[in-house]
Amino acid sequence: MSNIALRLAWRNLWRYPRRTWLTVGAMIFSNSLLVFSISLQFGSYEMMINNTLQAFTGHIQVQREGYLDDPKMRYVLPDITAMADRLRSSLDSNQIAARAAGFALVSSNDRSYGLQILGVEPEFEPFVSTIPGLIKQGRYLDKDSDEEIVIGSVLARNLKVKLGDEVTFLGSGRDDSFAAGVARVVGIFETGSADLDRSMAQVSLAYFQDAFTMGGSGHSITLRAATIDEVPMLKQRVKTLIAGRDKLVVLDWEVLQPGLKQAIQADMTSAWFMYGVLIILVAFSVLNTQLMSVLERTREFGTMMALGLKPSNLARLVMTETFMMASLGLAIGVFIGYLITAYLSVVGFSYPGMEEMADKFNLPDRMYPNVSLLSLTLGPGIVAIGCLLAAIYPALRLYLLLPIEAMRAV
Amino acid sequence: MNTGVFNIPFKAMLTLSWRNLWRNYRRTLIMLAAISMAVWAMIFMTAIMRGMVDDMLHQGVANLPGHIQIHHPGFRDDPSVVNSIDAPGGELLAALNDSQTKSWTSRIKVPAVISSERDTRGISLLGVEPESENRITGIAEQVVEGRFLEGDDDRGVVIGLKLAERLETRLGKRVVIMSQDPDNNIADRGFRIVGLYKARLEALEEVNVYAARGTLQKLLKIGDQVSEIAIIDKDFRDIESLYAKIKAATPDNLEIRAWYELDSYLSSMLNVMDGFVLIWIIIIFLALSFGLVNTLMMAVFERRREIGLIQALGMRPGMIVYQILLESLLLLLIGLSIGNALALATVLPLESGLDISSVAEGLAMIGAGSVLYPNLRLDDMILANVVVIMLGTLTSILPAWHAARLDPVQAINST
Amino acid sequence: MSAIHCMQLCKTFKQGDETITGLDHVDISIEVGEFVCLSGPSGSGKTTLLNAIGGLDTHDSVEIHMGNIRIDQLDKGSLADMRLHNIGFVFQAYNLIPVLSAQENVEFVMQMQGIVAHERARHAREILKEVGLEGMEDRRPAQLSGGQQQRVAVARAIVSQPQLVLADEPTANLDSVTASHLMNLFSRLNQHHHITFIIATHDKRVMGYAKRLIKMRDGKIIGDEKQTPVAIEDVADSSG
Ligand SMILES: Nc1ncnc2c1ncn2[C@@H]1O[C@H](COP(=O)(O)OP(=O)(O)O)[C@@H](O)[C@H]1O
Ligand SMILES: [Mg+2]
Repeated sequence: MSNIALRLAWRNLWRYPRRTWLTVGAMIFSNSLLVFSISLQFGSYEMMINNTLQAFTGHIQVQREGYLDDPKMRYVLPDITAMADRLRSSLDSNQIAARAAGFALVSSNDRSYGLQILGVEPEFEPFVSTIPGLIKQGRYLDKDSDEEIVIGSVLARNLKVKLGDEVTFLGSGRDDSFAAGVARVVGIFETGSADLDRSMAQVSLAYFQDAFTMGGSGHSITLRAATIDEVPMLKQRVKTLIAGRDKLVVLDWEVLQPGLKQAIQADMTSAWFMYGVLIILVAFSVLNTQLMSVLERTREFGTMMALGLKPSNLARLVMTETFMMASLGLAIGVFIGYLITAYLSVVGFSYPGMEEMADKFNLPDRMYPNVSLLSLTLGPGIVAIGCLLAAIYPALRLYLLLPIEAMRAV
Repeated sequence: MNTGVFNIPFKAMLTLSWRNLWRNYRRTLIMLAAISMAVWAMIFMTAIMRGMVDDMLHQGVANLPGHIQIHHPGFRDDPSVVNSIDAPGGELLAALNDSQTKSWTSRIKVPAVISSERDTRGISLLGVEPESENRITGIAEQVVEGRFLEGDDDRGVVIGLKLAERLETRLGKRVVIMSQDPDNNIADRGFRIVGLYKARLEALEEVNVYAARGTLQKLLKIGDQVSEIAIIDKDFRDIESLYAKIKAATPDNLEIRAWYELDSYLSSMLNVMDGFVLIWIIIIFLALSFGLVNTLMMAVFERRREIGLIQALGMRPGMIVYQILLESLLLLLIGLSIGNALALATVLPLESGLDISSVAEGLAMIGAGSVLYPNLRLDDMILANVVVIMLGTLTSILPAWHAARLDPVQAINST
Repeated sequence: MSAIHCMQLCKTFKQGDETITGLDHVDISIEVGEFVCLSGPSGSGKTTLLNAIGGLDTHDSVEIHMGNIRIDQLDKGSLADMRLHNIGFVFQAYNLIPVLSAQENVEFVMQMQGIVAHERARHAREILKEVGLEGMEDRRPAQLSGGQQQRVAVARAIVSQPQLVLADEPTANLDSVTASHLMNLFSRLNQHHHITFIIATHDKRVMGYAKRLIKMRDGKIIGDEKQTPVAIEDVADSSG
């Protein structure tokens, strides 16, 4: 270090090593905690989003305006298969599938349940939803599926039907006409979410259109992006592609699943409140240390001012010291936080009661924190900024120093 | 060695510590700010989280509804009319009517399909005895248009506002409700909508449809059978004695369950919350402890000459430890008082409810309502205070011990 | 520009209700290259006068010219710059930065002046050699004797070739041998580098080195005479 000012700042830190280490210790503690906690947060949000969206909703849906708030049979996308085909070729992606949905009373010999029946494109549905891959008995629908149905495991149990049994469904078609059909159960899926397993039945889109007098129309085209970050871009492209078609809207997952976004927001808010408290406590520590260190050096600062240093030079010195202290806390804190988090991101961890919570939020039973550059630096970065802010007051006090008085100080 | 001189009475010691505390008033003030803020955060955050979980529990228990429920053993897996039970009688009825039970009701709960002229939906059809049902769920107060059911054979239905919107129907209109009887025959009947209710969780409005119990028993041809018996106690957290008593009176062929068995998410939340409160308080304390040790270390360092001096004059190391600990205790006590006062001052005004509806749907996902009622619990406050005092004093032993170990000669000669 | 003219320099201190006179209408002119001693008993106003000339303190109803600059009208920042570039200070207590070595203490001021690193190092070594501290460049103040520390302070004061060095009781904490070494050093610097020295002292031996002796009492100048300084022992002293 040829820069004497830096050397001076660094050595000043170690005049009272214990004090410096205690201050840095507070930073290390908070930083490693923040790294762990933020990584965990990001990890679980990502999982929550993925698990929820991949199951069924997808990242983006094209719908008729108003259908989301009020899913009426008559809010249709005409010629939906052709439209889905066009999107697939324009976007050069398979992860696009058309759907139609209608309410029906589904009955077996013993039981009847009112539920949503879904018409799907069997060739493409597996690319946008995990349900086709979760068939536990039998098989999923295929291209020529006619009068075939797949249902959730809980529904199968409640209806008391097995593979190969027939169920009838009764509902009303698009034009309020009577819709009815008899379909054979060819597959039973089990997603692990009791809600989905209880309330979902799927038939092929063609069969659905037939039974519910839909003509060539359907209700939604579901798209999946490669990653969640690409959703805005994909949304924009889909928007341009369907521009000019009346009354169609492109909705992303935040709109389709507002609860998801808000649950994350609510969780973020309370988490950041807690982080804020930690950060302020560290800042108090720094304030105390730096104020004391400025006050006890009053004489020395007086001399330096007599030599021709300006308060701004001295303030810079104090800020440099704080910066060095903060960097030390950041480096060590991030390192320790990284070690802990990286370890847990491999072996995972859980706590008592987590299983029930995990079920509620579509999370696996073990948590795996997600280490990323952002999760490593976000919290510690803010801690460092907080420390620098805290040092502003001690640094500003230097502007009040009068050299003569300062040199007289004890 | 003449130790008598330094057998200082407690009061003098207290004065000494108090004065020492204010010798470097800036440092003491900063530390006080840190302690107060930490204590405030411990209590405030805990009250908010408790409030949230309480709300989830109340909602959850209210959605069940009933703190204790009795069903046919097959009902919870297959909530069909087939799995109905006889109306309570004999020993069970006596136990239910016992004074200890706050209230109970029996209801029918079957899946059904409701159709208006415009649309059709799947619902959960509840056949209730209006008066006792209302005592348990307060549903009558949630009716915003029209009236709630009156009597066991009322022929109207009460549906949620949201459902009415979905069905494009309104008060006074007719709807057809279709379900099945135990022989799997379609049982359907027209009902007039006599009331619309608004629930705290919107999702419930779409699902729960209320009809009179007697009317449904006739429609479903189940005589006086019901789907479940729901009992509430005075406090849902303390139902064990009632639970035991009713269980004893319940016939063996029925299944009796407490709320925490019916909804494991809710009960696990309670436990997770207790753990969370403790961890939160300890983490905040740890973040604080660095500053506390630092402050005391600095105080000892500044006074090392005089500590050396009084040691040289014959004060025993024990007394020095005692004095530093007393100083730390004073600091902690002042910080705690301010922190507690701040917590009270911020939580109490919020107890009438904090509107957080901007994330309502997210809160609905975790089962909480959109108005948050912080719950300041005495035991949480005590926990926070005890942790700060105990661990704070424990932490202060380090600098105190350090002070007592100072070598008098070196300390006096240091600059 | 190092001619100094003070006109009607006054300074009062408020202490409670009392007003203490530090300087009482002092007029003084000092030319470039002078070696001046301010003498007088303790409390006579020597320090106050030095501080006023160095722009370290505020004063009442003054005019201080340094060359053609009105020091009393400069703002704090310009005063600091002036001190940094044109004036060297030596105080009674050595006032070194304890965490920096002798050389670093000297270099620190140069860095603040914006002098590049290699220049700094070379220059600092030269100066330290000149004040007789060769071989002790890397010692911290705590590892130096009082006289050595004071010489580091002198080195620091003169390293940037100031026109003026103000020294306030520089020998007060030194034994007589070390003190005379220091005064010899001052005299030499005055002769070889034409640095103006103003030294406040009440040490008779120090006064002997001065070419001009100003006597003060109660904030007033009561005597001002030229004198022939004692012979300088021109030895490169490294003791002390
Ligand atoms: N900061 C101050 N507050 C009050 N009085 C002061 C202060 N500085 C100097 N004085 C007074 O001003 C007078 C001159 O002091 P000073 O210049 O320090 O004298 P000297 O340096 O000759 O000993 C003295 O009476 C002293 O008490
Ligand atoms: Mg003086």
